[in-house]
Amino acid sequence: MIIGLNHFQVVSALLFGLGLLTIITRRNAVAVLMGVELVLNAGLVNLVAISRYQTGGLDGQIFALFGVVLAAAEAVVALAIVLQLFRARRSVDTIDVTDMRG
Amino acid sequence: MAGTTESLARFAPELVLSATILAILIVDLIARLQPKRPSLLSGVALVGLSAMAGALWLTPTGDTSLFTHLLAFDGLARYFKGFFILAAALGVLFGHLSDEISRSRLGEYYIQLLCLTLGLSLLASAQNLLMLYLALELVSLPSYVLSGFRWWDRRASEAALKYVVFGGAASGVMLYGFSLIYGITGTLQIDGVAAALTAAATGGQGIAGQLGLLMAVMLSLAGFGYKVAAVPFHMWCPDVYEGAPTTFVAFLSVAPKAAGFAALIRFFVVGFGQPAPGAAGFPWAEILGIIAIGTMTLGNVVAVTQDNVKRLLAYSSIAQAGYLIMALAVGTDEAIRAVMLYLGFYLLMNMGAFFGVQLAGGERLSAFRGMASRNATLAITMAIFLFSLTGIPPFAGFIGKFYLFAAVLSVGEPFFYALAIIGVLNSAISLYYYAKVVRVMFLDKAEEGDGVVEVSRPASALLLALAGPTLLFGVWWAPLADLIDKASSILR
Amino acid sequence: MELQTFNTLWLIPLFPLLGAAYAGLLGKRIHRRYGELAVSLPTVIMPWISFAVAVSAVVTLAQAGPEVALYNRLWTWIGVDWMQADMAFLVDRLSAVMILVVTFVGSLIHVYSLGYMKGDPGYWRFFAYLNLFMFSMLVLVLGDNFLLMFVGWEGVGLCSYLLISYYYRERDKAAAGMKAFIVNRVGDFGFTLGVFLLFWGLAAANSPSYNPSIQATTAAPVVKRASAKPDPAKLAEHVAFQASWGLAGAPCRSHQALGRASTLGGHAQGHHVEGHATTSLAFRHVERLLEDPVKREGLLSQNVLGLSLVTLVGLLLFLGATGKSAQIPLYVWLPDAMAGPTPVSALIHAATMVTAGVYMLSRLHFLMALTPVAMTVVATVGALTAFFAATIGLFQYDIKKVLAYSTVSQLGFMFVAVGSGAFWVAIFHLMTHAFFKACLFLGSGSVIMGCHHEQDMRLMGGLRKLMPVTAITYFISSAAIAGFPLFSGFFSKDEILWKAFDTGNVILPGGGFVLWLLAAVAALMTSFYMFRSYYMTFSGEYRGGHAHEAHGHDEAHGAHGHLPRESPKTMTIVLGILAALALAGGYVGLPHLWHLPNLFEHWLAPVFEGSAHTLKWAGYGHGLEWGLMITSILIAFAGFFAARWLYRDHRNPTPQKILDSDRRLVRGVHRWVFNKYYVDELYQKTVIQPTLVLSRALSIFDTGFIDAIVNLVGLIGRLFSMLQGWIDRTFIDGLVNLVGDTVMNAGRALRRVQTGRLQAYVYSLVAGSLLMVVAAWLMAA
Repeated sequence: MIIGLNHFQVVSALLFGLGLLTIITRRNAVAVLMGVELVLNAGLVNLVAISRYQTGGLDGQIFALFGVVLAAAEAVVALAIVLQLFRARRSVDTIDVTDMRG
Repeated sequence: MAGTTESLARFAPELVLSATILAILIVDLIARLQPKRPSLLSGVALVGLSAMAGALWLTPTGDTSLFTHLLAFDGLARYFKGFFILAAALGVLFGHLSDEISRSRLGEYYIQLLCLTLGLSLLASAQNLLMLYLALELVSLPSYVLSGFRWWDRRASEAALKYVVFGGAASGVMLYGFSLIYGITGTLQIDGVAAALTAAATGGQGIAGQLGLLMAVMLSLAGFGYKVAAVPFHMWCPDVYEGAPTTFVAFLSVAPKAAGFAALIRFFVVGFGQPAPGAAGFPWAEILGIIAIGTMTLGNVVAVTQDNVKRLLAYSSIAQAGYLIMALAVGTDEAIRAVMLYLGFYLLMNMGAFFGVQLAGGERLSAFRGMASRNATLAITMAIFLFSLTGIPPFAGFIGKFYLFAAVLSVGEPFFYALAIIGVLNSAISLYYYAKVVRVMFLDKAEEGDGVVEVSRPASALLLALAGPTLLFGVWWAPLADLIDKASSILR
Repeated sequence: MELQTFNTLWLIPLFPLLGAAYAGLLGKRIHRRYGELAVSLPTVIMPWISFAVAVSAVVTLAQAGPEVALYNRLWTWIGVDWMQADMAFLVDRLSAVMILVVTFVGSLIHVYSLGYMKGDPGYWRFFAYLNLFMFSMLVLVLGDNFLLMFVGWEGVGLCSYLLISYYYRERDKAAAGMKAFIVNRVGDFGFTLGVFLLFWGLAAANSPSYNPSIQATTAAPVVKRASAKPDPAKLAEHVAFQASWGLAGAPCRSHQALGRASTLGGHAQGHHVEGHATTSLAFRHVERLLEDPVKREGLLSQNVLGLSLVTLVGLLLFLGATGKSAQIPLYVWLPDAMAGPTPVSALIHAATMVTAGVYMLSRLHFLMALTPVAMTVVATVGALTAFFAATIGLFQYDIKKVLAYSTVSQLGFMFVAVGSGAFWVAIFHLMTHAFFKACLFLGSGSVIMGCHHEQDMRLMGGLRKLMPVTAITYFISSAAIAGFPLFSGFFSKDEILWKAFDTGNVILPGGGFVLWLLAAVAALMTSFYMFRSYYMTFSGEYRGGHAHEAHGHDEAHGAHGHLPRESPKTMTIVLGILAALALAGGYVGLPHLWHLPNLFEHWLAPVFEGSAHTLKWAGYGHGLEWGLMITSILIAFAGFFAARWLYRDHRNPTPQKILDSDRRLVRGVHRWVFNKYYVDELYQKTVIQPTLVLSRALSIFDTGFIDAIVNLVGLIGRLFSMLQGWIDRTFIDGLVNLVGDTVMNAGRALRRVQTGRLQAYVYSLVAGSLLMVVAAWLMAA
């Protein structure tokens, strides 16, 4: 079997879906953040694959490089926030984080 | 297209801003023991922003693309850069005058705020999907941090968590949408997208291709929708506004929203819109129209039930975004100028309103009881901001709304008439909750324990400096309208 | 004339209209619930907003250069193929002066009314009418065509009527409103007839068969061609001709395109020079048409009933002006109009509405300049009115009546200027008069309020000590109207006297000298009676306060017998501002003699440029002009000293002696003048009684004409308020509650969606995106 664009796109779509599912279903804030990373990476996989198989050039791959760096930065900020959350309320369960609503 | 040297010359405002950020960092470190450190930092920030404004003023004005088509340098970008400089300067002043930001962390606050401003400036001029994404993230990351700036506050950390997860998800969805656009059109340039789409439309694409494209655009929309807080991407907004420091919310509710609109204009009008509406058989105008209806209706209807003024203003800012999206759905030059004009007024009245809430010393409606007798300046200026947000004459908000509705009506199609009527009804609803706050301030009597609200002299001056133009533009808006007429060119 | 689009002119009349709608529809309810200020504040603010917009328009106009006018076209009003009128507003330098005066003085008087009308049961009604009046007046001066002007013209008439009979429960006051209404109808009849005749003549002048240049090619040169009546065939021909020209449709469409393209800015970028459309009712099109010598000749050569058509048009238009501006023979309504509240007298019956006739004739200067006969009549009637009304003013005791006759007299001065061809001077006097007369009226209002609704000057006196601000402002304004040097009235009145003397446009024996003489004597009397009223009111000791019955309509202002007190701040501040303007407002129009720039003339010159070459001046030298100026200064002082000698401190017995004199001549003259020359009685005998007899004969109502109408007015008012109450209760309350509840419930339901759960938020993001994809796909497919 020759691995082609379609395969990558299917993988990417699966990543995207699973990432969203993770965000929506997991209660642990750290796990939710992992879901966010999955969603991000789904887009990046798509970009690299399209760049490689369809359009040529390096546009998509450079995009992906930037994307990886950004994902790292975002993870840093997000984890710091989760840490503060834990310090403020001794819990990272998203169910508990509902002081504000309505 | 400008070469590297020319590009750098036109990039001077951003360079100055970057230098300012570094300068604040250094001053913050060097002056650690200075008693005058807060004033020093605010001074550096304001001088830097003034220098940025000067650089913007001095750059050559011809429309061109910078750095191999990454950034556009056109009327739209320049207008919004000026807008962000003003917003950032107000943000710095608010920060300086606010007791929410601890003096020892003021430098930190300014650095984040100015990084955010740098991102805003890039977002308004990004001409390439990669640049757009990077700029959006550069706006988002400091926003997350600043929302949770008072980390010991339970609500602030909750706000930051909700913001970062929602924002991350939204930008991830947008990124996925971008990758689909890249796959369909083979380019990351927004203007290239337009060309590829036209080619695809004339080439007679099948319905499946249309679905792919629709998917790509709708997913991308999630990112913009989240920035401007449009329904159904608005859910983060009330919670974040309520939890984040009010000082920062004043900025957050105006500048990133404006940048979101600038990016939306560029994305839809340049990449997809023209010839709008209904280019290549796609119902962009209708979709945006429906989003607008949902956004303004939800914002206004829920705001009616609020008794926390900060949260009320959060819903109000959602509703305000609805009016703007309504004009964006029209997509004509007239509509875009109306959006720019309204955002200009919105800057004054919304920042003023949030600043007023911060100064009032309480968020609940009861904290405003009898404000007229407790601090007349605050009560009167708040009333001006709120009435202007409602859009009644003679305040600037009326003129802004007038142009928005005029742009919508000038299309002359039943859908847009309906849109305008819904918009007007929504404005009528909004009068209820804005006037509610005013009523509490002016007609309710202050009770035991409601003391005089102390507002420092500079803060009062700042309130008046925001309220004055809100009134003045209500009767004499021609200067700003002229400016926008001249500076609304969009590089296509 | 170059037109520059200024898209916000329509806001100027809009704001007062909003105010009127607010106070008229909701005022009663709001008054009941929230008190007076909730009614009056919005309606007082509206004119100020109009003023601000007007200022921004005028600033733009001033920057745009002399030949530019601001233009704002809303829609095509009448666009049938032989006539076109747009719903369009135009601000040229003439209407710029008018809107500034109207909005500024109007706004001030609104502020004044806050204090004056306090506690009045019909508060909301008053402010609704006052705003409605502002709207109509602004439409009148902003309208760019005859039709729109006429709408404003009738609108101000209606408001004037409503406000005169404001205290409609008092029969004589209701009757005064009726009188104003009916007298004005006579004038309006003349106005409409004049406009019809003008357009009939223009149509004929435009027709090829009347066109001398075409005839010149076919036959012997026929320049003058008199035609009594057009026969139907020819009329049909005009219509066909104009239809073939396609004049009606084309400009309308191009206008529409322009309106569409007009952009955000208060001003659009597009300057565009207008071509003329002959069938248009716009003033500027008519003016443009008459600039064509052939067309002008075509109009001038027509006769109707043995009179030149242009002259007849001019006379009919002037008849319209005599109605609105209270000139002989239709001035009789104005003194009776003093039955209305005093702010109304100041705003409508002194400063603005009554000057509409002057404005109208100035607006049509290009037409008036063509007909020396009409100009002569205008100037003569103006001079006679000025003289005649001034004589009546000498013997009045009611302070408002003095001012009323003085207004009639001053309007006469303005018409002297119009008739002499000095249109800018007429407008100049219009402006200065607006300042000082408004101040005088408001001062009299302050006095009347202070004296517990006493208007008889014999029962006043000594108020200078009790009401110092009122006294000072009244004195300043009296000095201005009398023409004391360096006061505003001096500049405008002196210029009128000089222009009347110097005119070459009247065909009177003796030329302008007769006009000058009448006007100069009137000026002398003006000075006398104004200071007479000042000294009777303000000097000496207070003579009122004994058990004198106050008028019934409002007794809340204070107990009887107390000494008068100064009026509240809202009133005195307005008096101060107006007095300052009465003092300094004339410096914009300094005399040429002084070798100082005359800004006002310069400002208006482009407007009256079109008629400037038609007008003739005798060209007397500077020496004479100096002489006349010194004469008028002497006149002003003569009147002042005479009044001071006779009436100061109520000490000089001479006036009483004259009144008590047994000499038949003295008594007869006094009685004759005091009773206003019995003109009302004359009209009663010659016009009203025959009408009444006729109406009795014809009518099945034998309860009397006036009674029926007064009752009808009352009935309509009652029905209206009943209807309003019903609408209030049924619809507004019900609807408000219904809508309020619905919105509130929806809000509560939607609030629950915002659960506070992070996952729910992201879920809405995802589901929303997918939903939109599906929706968009369905819509696209």
